[in-house]
This record gives sequence, C-alpha cells and structure tokens, in this order.
Amino acid sequence: MLLQILIQGFLLSGLYALIAVGFTLIFGIGRILNLAHGSYLMAGGYAFFWIGQIIGLPKIIGVALAVFLGAGMGIAIYRLIVRPLKGDRIAVEIATLILAVILQAAIVLIFGSSSKIPHPLVPGVVRIADTPIAWSILVATCASWIILLSLYAFIRLSHTGRAMQAVSMDPKGAAICGIDSNRIDIIVWSISGGLGALAGVFFAGYTQLSPSMWVTPLIISVAVVIVGGIGSIMGTLAVAHIIGFMEVIVTTLIAPELRGVFTMGLIIVALLFRPRGLFGREEI
Amino acid sequence: MAIVGANGAGKSTLFDGVMGLVHTRGDIRLAGESIQGKGPTFAVGAGIGYASERFNLFPYMSVRDNLLTGAWTARKSIEENLLRVHTLFPRLAERESQEAATCSGGERQMISLGRALMSAPKLLLVDEPTIGLAPKICAEIAQSLQRMRDEMGLTVLIAEQNANFAIRLAERLLILESGHIRAGGQSEELAKDEGLVSAYFGKDAGGFEAKEGVKSPGAAWT
Repeated sequence: MLLQILIQGFLLSGLYALIAVGFTLIFGIGRILNLAHGSYLMAGGYAFFWIGQIIGLPKIIGVALAVFLGAGMGIAIYRLIVRPLKGDRIAVEIATLILAVILQAAIVLIFGSSSKIPHPLVPGVVRIADTPIAWSILVATCASWIILLSLYAFIRLSHTGRAMQAVSMDPKGAAICGIDSNRIDIIVWSISGGLGALAGVFFAGYTQLSPSMWVTPLIISVAVVIVGGIGSIMGTLAVAHIIGFMEVIVTTLIAPELRGVFTMGLIIVALLFRPRGLFGREEI
Repeated sequence: MAIVGANGAGKSTLFDGVMGLVHTRGDIRLAGESIQGKGPTFAVGAGIGYASERFNLFPYMSVRDNLLTGAWTARKSIEENLLRVHTLFPRLAERESQEAATCSGGERQMISLGRALMSAPKLLLVDEPTIGLAPKICAEIAQSLQRMRDEMGLTVLIAEQNANFAIRLAERLLILESGHIRAGGQSEELAKDEGLVSAYFGKDAGGFEAKEGVKSPGAAWT
C-alpha cells in the first residue's frame, strides 16, 4: 500500500509539475494569472484525439500538432488579450476566463458534449513492485521530468533563459541591457502554451477528454502558484509533489471524490497563512 | 562630461530619454544619427551603455549572470568584455557566484557599471555614480570611470548632484535646472564663474583648480 502510494504519487506529481510550469512562467514574467491555461490542455488532448482517432494519422503527428496548437494559442492570447490590456491584470484574468468558457463551448460544438477516450500514447501495462502501471503514464512522467530539467537548464544557462529571468526580476534592468521584452514575452507565452498542450496529451491518459476538462488542471496550476509563491521551476516541482502526493493519499485512503476538495483547501490555507507562498520570491 | 543638477532637475529623465525608455519630443542624436523614439534595444545596439541610478540589477541572479545578461547584444565578444570588467573591478571576479541581492552598495554599483560595459558601448551613461557610497568606494568608482575614459576610450557621461565631485572628474560640465540648461562648458571655465560657484560649488571651492583635461574620443557629444 505504502509503495503503491509512493509510485502513484511520483507519477502524478511529475505530470502536475508539467501542467503547472507554464502557468508559473507566465505569472513570473508578467504577474498575470492566465485563467485560460487549462484550455491549452483541453486543446492539446482533443488535437491528439482528432489526429489519431478521427483523421487516423500516427500518434506522433497528434503530439506535434498539440504542441504547435498550444504554442500558437499562447502567442494569440498574448497578442490579442494581454498586450492590448497591458498592465490591467484583473481585465486579463477576466478575459482569459471568458476565453476558457468560449473554448469549452467550441469543443462542445465540434466534438459534442460526451466524453471521449483517447487511445493511450503507448499501449500496454507494466508491473512495478506489484503495481500495474500503464506504459503511457510512465512515459508521460519520464517525459515530463526530462522536459522540466531541460527547461531549468535552458532558463539558467542560455542567453534567452537569462533574458527571461531578467525581464521577470527587473523589466527596466532588462531594457537597459537591450532586451526586447515583447520578444521574450512571446517566447515565454509560446513555451507555456506548448508545454500546456503537451501536458494535455499526457493528462488525457489519466482521465478522459471532456469539454470541462480544463478546470482541474487550472486549479492545480493556481494551487502551485499560490502555495509555492511566485514560482521558480524548482518551487513548481516541489509544490507539484506536495499536491500530487496529497491527492494520491486522499484517493487511496479516504475517498477519490475528495481529492479536488483537498487541493482547493490547500489553496485557502496557503492564502491565510503564507500569502507569499512557501517559496515566495519574485523570479522565474 | 558631467551633467550637474539638484534633485529633480531632470538628469535621470534625460538619461531615460536618451535610452528611449520614456517618450521624448525633439531629437536625440548619437554621432550624427538620430536615435529618437527607437527604444532601448536600438540604443544599446547603437553603442550606448546605461548604469541607472537604482542600478536595476537582477537580484536573484549571480554576479556573473548579471554581467552575462548585459552581453545580450554583444555575444561574440563575451570573454573579452568579461575580462575587461574583471580587470576594472577585480572584486566582481571574486564574488562571481554570489547573488546580486546580497552584494554591498559599492559592489552593486560595480555590477551595474560592469553590466553596462558588457555590451561594449562607445558611450556610457552613468546616473549618480557615487550616491550613498562610502568615500573610499567613491574614489574607487571615480578612478574606474577615469580608466574607462582614458584607457578604454569610452565617452563617459555622468549625472551628478555633487558638483565638486563632477568638476574634478569631468572635462566638461552641463548644469541643469528644472529641466533647462543653465550653463555649460569646460570645467575650468565654469569654475571661474562667480555666480555658478556660489550656487553649486560652495564658497570654499572658489580657488579650485580643475583637473587637466584629456580629450575624449568616441562619439561626438557636445
């Protein structure tokens, strides 16, 4: 039982970190909550389903389309909502929430309101320590870890990554280094969208595709930012594990229906007692 | 060259305007080319470095990463420029992996100047280079500014409240009063002007002898 919780906890937490990382990047760079973040996951999941099960092309094309679609959505949200509303965070939050609801309606129009079960990314089941684990979930977790560590290295070591940190820590300082913050913003928004959509492909392996599937990942992302503070990548990883393990423990030991409730409870507790977050500090 | 003026005379705003950080009217020319309204990215690319009054460092980055971020527009000569900065400020080489947030005021000023030098500028704008620093560090910074001018061939433009400091360091002065130029010229000449001396340099500085000027090459700033 304990081992099972450990394995499940690590698998779920890796995915949660991937879900939340784009959201925390956006929060870090513009102090904006992008409430349409869950829609990237929905778009990615449905794009994967559409390519594989409606068009009938190889799954890898579905994954690629999902990533490009997510990145394009990120750039579009930045260009059409965030930049015109420059500086007005509340307006951006309301607009992105409305966008999320519109996209949900669009999914209902295109795919119908019933939930869909996408084919697994990699078929089959593997047994680790007597726990049956779907290959697709194992692959998703490993891919998430590789992506997160590469992203961390990219932000720490590359010129563009340093420029991202610079814009997030001191926009004027970045400007006097000659960094064009619009260009950096577009890069960050496209990374955020692309990773969100990829997380959607992975996430669809856990649950099913449904028009309201954007809500759960959004709550996870908000929880990671609020509990973790303005997120560094490492902070995101840490908090994703707190939430992931909490959900697995609640699901296994108490009742599966309560897992979301506990996550939201954690948000409220964090807001009350640690308003700046456990790892609160203003950077990527 | 130094721009002298009291608090609120418009020195920082002038520099922000040159960098394209704020909207300006009129024209800003660098070596004859207009850079007006083209923004900070263009200004840095055209060869202007800026060490701002509040430094605007990246607090949670290491000293080294702060300097490397300054090399955004000059990535081909990073090694060379880094060596130059470390020769000028050996302390930055010692503190390489320390976070900027934990550095002292003098070290922050050095990071700020060093970061501006990483873009290999021809013109360096330095806003209040010695404000709030201990006299010993002030002297160190003043010396480094002179070395940038004399050894590296940079045109250095400083904004200073302390007129006595400015007149000792700079060949030329420009005196700014609530956004307008009150006087300008060679430092030695201005030091002879009774009215200016009593207003800006204090009565005691009357017999002050300005430093022998060295002609600064580089961009033509008048």
